[in-house]
Amino acid sequence: IETARVFDFEEFPTRDRVTYMYYTGRLEVFNDNFVLADQKLVYALSHCNPAKASNIRMVLKYLIPVKLSLGTLPKYSLLQRYNLLEYKEVVQALRMGDIRLLRHALQTHEDQFLRSGVYLVLEKLELQVCRRLMKKIYILQKQKDPGRAHQVKMDSILKALRWLNIDMDIDEVECIMAILIHRNFIKGYFSHKSKVVVLSKQDAFPVLSARPLTS
Amino acid sequence: DDKEEGEDGVQQQWEDDWDDDDVTDDFSVQLRKELESAGES
Repeated sequence: IETARVFDFEEFPTRDRVTYMYYTGRLEVFNDNFVLADQKLVYALSHCNPAKASNIRMVLKYLIPVKLSLGTLPKYSLLQRYNLLEYKEVVQALRMGDIRLLRHALQTHEDQFLRSGVYLVLEKLELQVCRRLMKKIYILQKQKDPGRAHQVKMDSILKALRWLNIDMDIDEVECIMAILIHRNFIKGYFSHKSKVVVLSKQDAFPVLSARPLTS
Repeated sequence: DDKEEGEDGVQQQWEDDWDDDDVTDDFSVQLRKELESAGES
């Protein structure tokens, strides 16, 4: 009697392993399991034939939104080399904290992002962009008045949003601040009464890529 | 040669340390102006 042999994953041919990791990685993207998706897609990327640019591009199409969600940005040269320039403005928006640019980029490439199924993943990056905007406001305040910089007035946030033509009322902004704090994008607390976000004096903006993930 | 660029190249094309304190870009400069403007709209 022969018992079924348990196969070691590494025993399968490389091309099958890459295909497997690519598809299961994509599945993890849709399940919002970005850490697992990252591992699988990185495996596919590092084991696929480097001469096949179209395969690399296929993997990157999903790996980029995953990396962005985990706080890592692709360099412009990567987007350029694999013709993935639809991500250019998304990356810029994250870097700057420009919510308007993110929305604009999603609108411009809506069809493409919807077809590959990453639209919803990219849409959720708005939180990260809000965090970056908060950080910029904080740094600018610190340069002007270091003693009081950790208090960010609601008014300042609303002013910035108005400048960006983002139509959000104070309740919405409060809600976003609450989510940012809850998800550990920002450390601090929010005072509803005095309309101020009080940032932690230590490490108010934890490093994104080291942040424990709550989903 | 081409191989190396494809494989190793892709792995090194990511940035982790982008979330810096730099506020010299145009966006930040403009943001500063907006925040300092007294206008309450």
